[in-house]
Amino acid sequence: MDEVQEREKKEEFDASEIEYVSYGGEHHLPLIMNLVDQELSEPYSIFTYRYFVYLWPQLSFLASAFHKGKCVGTVVCKMGDHRNSTFRGYIAMLVVIKSYRGRGIATELVTRSIQVMMESGCEEVCRVLVAVPFGLYLFKCSIIHTTISQRKYGFFQFHLSLVLYIIVLNELKCCPKKPIIREALALLIFLVTLEAEVTNKGALALYGRLGFIRAKRLFHYYLNGVDAFRLKLLFPQPELHPSLPMMADRDDAQEHDDC
Amino acid sequence: MDLKNTEQASMERHAPNHSSSSSIPATENTVWADASPLLETVCKELRDGELIHGDNFNLYAAMSALEYASVDEAIEDGLAPVPISIDKTVDVQCIIDIVDHLLACEATWHKGHSLAQTVFSCAYLVRPERTLSHALLDSYCKVIRATCKAVTTIVSDARTHEEEDLFTMSYGLPLNVEGDEKCLSLLNAVEENISRQLRACKAPLSKRKLLEDIEPLQTNFDLEEGYCKALLCRLRFRKHFCHVLTCMRRPQGRGLELARKHIASCISELGSILNSAEFLMFNAYGTCEDGTEDRTTASGRQAFGFDANLNSRISAPTPPRSIKILSWKKAIKYFENLLHHLDIICSYQLDPSLDALLRFVAQFQKAQPDLVARVHLQLLLVQDGKLYGRYPILAVIIRAARLPEVIMRHDIVKNEYFVQLGQIVINMLKILCTNAAWQRRKLGKILQDWRAIYLQLELAFRKESGEGSSISNGENASAGILKHILIWVEEQTYWIAHRFLVLGFELELYSPSEYCMVYWYLSVVLIRLAEKKHLKMTVSDGSAKQKGKKRKDSPKDLAREARIPPAISFLQCQICLAEGLALLLAALRNELIVLQSPSPFNSEHERFLQHFELLQKACIPDLISYPSFKESTSYARISSVVMYNYFKDAQKIAKEVKSSFLNDPDRLAELRILEQVAEHNSVALNVISRVGALDPSLKVSFEFIHHPYFATVVVKRS
Repeated sequence: MDEVQEREKKEEFDASEIEYVSYGGEHHLPLIMNLVDQELSEPYSIFTYRYFVYLWPQLSFLASAFHKGKCVGTVVCKMGDHRNSTFRGYIAMLVVIKSYRGRGIATELVTRSIQVMMESGCEEVCRVLVAVPFGLYLFKCSIIHTTISQRKYGFFQFHLSLVLYIIVLNELKCCPKKPIIREALALLIFLVTLEAEVTNKGALALYGRLGFIRAKRLFHYYLNGVDAFRLKLLFPQPELHPSLPMMADRDDAQEHDDC
Repeated sequence: MDLKNTEQASMERHAPNHSSSSSIPATENTVWADASPLLETVCKELRDGELIHGDNFNLYAAMSALEYASVDEAIEDGLAPVPISIDKTVDVQCIIDIVDHLLACEATWHKGHSLAQTVFSCAYLVRPERTLSHALLDSYCKVIRATCKAVTTIVSDARTHEEEDLFTMSYGLPLNVEGDEKCLSLLNAVEENISRQLRACKAPLSKRKLLEDIEPLQTNFDLEEGYCKALLCRLRFRKHFCHVLTCMRRPQGRGLELARKHIASCISELGSILNSAEFLMFNAYGTCEDGTEDRTTASGRQAFGFDANLNSRISAPTPPRSIKILSWKKAIKYFENLLHHLDIICSYQLDPSLDALLRFVAQFQKAQPDLVARVHLQLLLVQDGKLYGRYPILAVIIRAARLPEVIMRHDIVKNEYFVQLGQIVINMLKILCTNAAWQRRKLGKILQDWRAIYLQLELAFRKESGEGSSISNGENASAGILKHILIWVEEQTYWIAHRFLVLGFELELYSPSEYCMVYWYLSVVLIRLAEKKHLKMTVSDGSAKQKGKKRKDSPKDLAREARIPPAISFLQCQICLAEGLALLLAALRNELIVLQSPSPFNSEHERFLQHFELLQKACIPDLISYPSFKESTSYARISSVVMYNYFKDAQKIAKEVKSSFLNDPDRLAELRILEQVAEHNSVALNVISRVGALDPSLKVSFEFIHHPYFATVVVKRS
């Protein structure tokens, strides 16, 4: 009992004392694993972490918050495409130890991750814009296939996954009104999703503040039998709305079919 | 590591025998080679925690390849001796514990864990041949296996998608044991024997001589009655439960009446089982006090012969994890609930009216029944593509569209899109029987199908009415039929959309800052639903009148026509509530800037798009978008909400229309609640307007204390 109280006791610290560090290599793994094991209900194996770090090194993003050399919070996420039409950044895990909660560390970790994802998203858009002249084919080929089964297999049950949904206005402005580009961009959708236990009020409030909505409830999602909410964050789509068919320039569309 | 050993072992198993004929012969381009040395080297290099991965060998495949040591030997090592004890009293005690723990396991299985880790963690069930010499244990194990098989079959027949895969996963488990089909007659014989033993021990001393040839259940005479009774109620529960399952599966709902009798017996036996706890606990610990709430047996002792790891080998690819078995008391509660829900299904009158059926299903789902109850409902509703196996789905649609039954013989209904329409109605019925979370997702998706069929039918209608115009107007029956059907399809689509939206409340998908847009959308959908419903009624009344060659237009008839049908008033009451809530929320936000939280990455527009994406895609309703929402809400003020007083209107309608639903207890109850919410909100609105929304001491919250989706406005002053 005393031990629990000890752990729950709020730590006194100044926000500026918290140091945010990107994943620095194998030596960070035990720290991250310890935190997750301690705080999350879902059991993850070391393979899960390596899955993120090694399989998509360029798209994985792990960061930790340190206070006086002690790892007090962590976020694990990655980006990938979803059903060939949406770019999704998944945040697999987000943890801040109890005594450090309520001071914005988690919000900071998530915000940073989303920003990193947005930047990678922009790069992705640029890459597509370069690829466009060669046709849609290249674009589709460039997508890294990451099909993951999201249910039943404990190690895949991400605590949360991010799906970014952005279309970058600047890039749009500088490109001609060619339908093929619009089409490519419509395909390039960034969404942020994540799953959280329906009972995890703290996490739900945090993501609510960041603009996530509760898109779905997933029945008995976690191994402990608790349901999950799938939360999603949609980014503003200036000018272009992907669900609007590109019917305006029908002639151009035919032109594109020829090339 | 296990992985290495398994790999190696499996390679050895599959290594081709060069001398004898191998199944896959070497070809010109291929040659068989011994890979063992290579594997051995690789295995040596692999360290703990390392993972092999390749294009065709991902993490999932790696985890699937892991095999865990079998614990079959554990059974041989005395996990499950028969008899459990040579002391007959101890033997009986242990069997009762096993029976109780099995009930807890069964409930845990029904609640969503795997069969292998729950019921089949019982060594006696896994090894059917071991119990043969013990009539009581054997018949009980048989009936459990048979019940599990029956329930598994029902669930897989219903195909409820999300839940069934784990529920019905029974690969490798002995579910089809020869002789299990005789379980009921064996159980009856055992039951008969124990009732004789009970009679014998209760008989007065003088008569006992006559009954001496009856061997008692166990050796302690003082406990004989208690143990006989404790066993009897447990055996009888199983017997009746088996009968319930069989009766409910009889085609066209023919066994429902009998099933109700068995359900009543089951419930009464559960009561006796619960009552036996005192006796059993006393004999286990010498106390009747409820020691721990988590106990999985009535006696509180740990049951003999269970090992959660028994089937870990066959439960791959999911790595085995320990699960928590429900307590014995919770298990009994679970079965009581299940039986109660089954009883509701059995007492349903199998109404051929789709409207009534949809209301019944929605009402049934309010109690949040578990999978087993829901699949029974689904299997009852849809049998052989017919409603209850009795009414062709097309006939049901025609009735729902308020068309005369003779239409069934019209050529137009043989059209392909009518077949499709039948299919999507069946789909909808099945979806309505699934858990709320899955149901909502699926309802959102099938809205596209309803939209598509509507467009198809509309096209056909245009064609027909175009052709028809050249003939006489009255004779174009096809166009008339299509018109009716079209209105009904629209009404039904709005009904689905309405259910989709309100399920979001039940599932807690909306945050308070989104209530405004949700109520606004809900009101828009409800208005369309009421319109279509009303249109359907007037059109069919009109055509009925035409056929009836106008019975004198008495002033009474006219009055009746002018009156709004109760079903429409019912919806209007809800419309008022939804509009009132939407505008109150908007006004509070406009005046107070509460419930508004700017987010760093997006705005309300994106949240609107996400919440209503599926409705918007299906054009439900047409021409409704975020700007229309902003237009209707951005000028809302408390004063105008007070002036229009939607809550007062809702209250008034509810009060008036109640008398029309005296024969419909469910809707009457709903109306009472709506009236209550309306009255409460009306008062709250007055308080807000009197105090002034800007008063900082005013705390307004929206709570679901009366109605599941119409919030009660709670005003507090700090």
